[in-house]
Amino acid sequence: MPQLRRDPVLGRWIIISKERRKRPNDFVIEEAKVIGGFCPLCPGNESFTPPEVLAYRNSTATIGNSPDWQVRVVPNKYPALKIEGELGKEAEGLYDRMNGIGAHEVIIECPDHHDIFWNLPLEHLALVFRAYRDRLKDLERDPRFRYVMIFKNYGKAAGASLEHSHSQLIALPVLPRMLVSEFTGAESYYRYKDRCIFCDIVSQELQQDIRVVCANEHFITISPFAPRTPFEMWVLPRKHASGYCATTQSQEMLMALAYIFSETLKRLEKCIPNVPYNFVLHTQPLRSGDMEHFHWHFEIVPKLTSIAGFEWGSGFYINPMPPEEATRYLRESLDS
Amino acid sequence: MKTILLVDDDESIQLLYQEEFKEAGYKVVSIYDGSEAIEAFKNTAPDLVILDIQMPGLNGIEVLRQIKMVNASVPVILNSAYQEFKQDLGAWASDEYVVKSSDIGELMNAVEKHIG
Repeated sequence: MPQLRRDPVLGRWIIISKERRKRPNDFVIEEAKVIGGFCPLCPGNESFTPPEVLAYRNSTATIGNSPDWQVRVVPNKYPALKIEGELGKEAEGLYDRMNGIGAHEVIIECPDHHDIFWNLPLEHLALVFRAYRDRLKDLERDPRFRYVMIFKNYGKAAGASLEHSHSQLIALPVLPRMLVSEFTGAESYYRYKDRCIFCDIVSQELQQDIRVVCANEHFITISPFAPRTPFEMWVLPRKHASGYCATTQSQEMLMALAYIFSETLKRLEKCIPNVPYNFVLHTQPLRSGDMEHFHWHFEIVPKLTSIAGFEWGSGFYINPMPPEEATRYLRESLDS
Repeated sequence: MKTILLVDDDESIQLLYQEEFKEAGYKVVSIYDGSEAIEAFKNTAPDLVILDIQMPGLNGIEVLRQIKMVNASVPVILNSAYQEFKQDLGAWASDEYVVKSSDIGELMNAVEKHIG
């Protein structure tokens, strides 16, 4: 019998279709074809990117936009939104519009073209997470922006157009609808119970221990109760914080985050080699102050199912893999 | 006389651009297929390349990455009817991205900026 499950934050329903049940081996992903050729993100090709807005280098003596960087952040050369200008908000009858103002940046995660995100040394991965923090802090000073979305597309099916490991950032003058729904759902729960729903999820998942993929002293990875796709996972800090920057102030926390992320993605890769995925940071809006009802987290969504008419029309997702089974496979992947 | 390698599978675009760029004093070498563009680039050693994206054989972004491996200093202008290829980070290897238009002015300005 299929099962309907309700996401406790968004109220979104998903269908766990046990008739369509699959095992990890049933998801066959073709090994990514290496296109090769010139890469504008590689060291030595800095002139093909706009000037960097952030870079970490081994030596502070070297000048900007030189090739000796470890992590480099540059504006998008052909951005979807423009950084210069005013918002110019106006109405046309009942319709609202404004200028396409925003920041669109690319975080080049490592100098080596062939390095893979989950396989980076932990110290290096921590630098990537530090870059997310430092860009968030910097963009927060721009009063035109209300939200910064940080995301990664891995694999062609997930939207990555270049093999060189990178993630992206888009600063927006509006709050994305998805996040508004999440804030609203979490606030509604908080008003009713006087507790953060994500703190309660962390606590219950640790207690039940059937959807915990892995954990360390500071972070936990779970398969959510109502996942949209097989092997969807959330990475959450164990201690409450609504903003990513508040948790990631220290090197210790950056390393703990690097550790849990690396382990999480290694488990996923072991279950389904070459799996394409997206991950997205869900954090508080810029300048919102601490939100007692919201808890920042990453959502990792493998690209294993297609979204067709039913999903578009209903907002339901059909998932052939119960999260408890996915968790079992993920746990066994490195432990066996 | 400066040479432009024009890679586009659309006959009408080829005719229009050849006429305009020849009139502006450039020599134009025409290629209609992405997979032939790399050899043509090596053989003609152009001063600039105008490159369509959606083509038979290799697409323009794949051609771009191969061309830049041969000689990264030759400017390449991506010239597509579509904006959305800008989201492909492979397009960053180009020196300009000009969306096709009935007014060739923007493309001509981009060419003159690099080799005029």
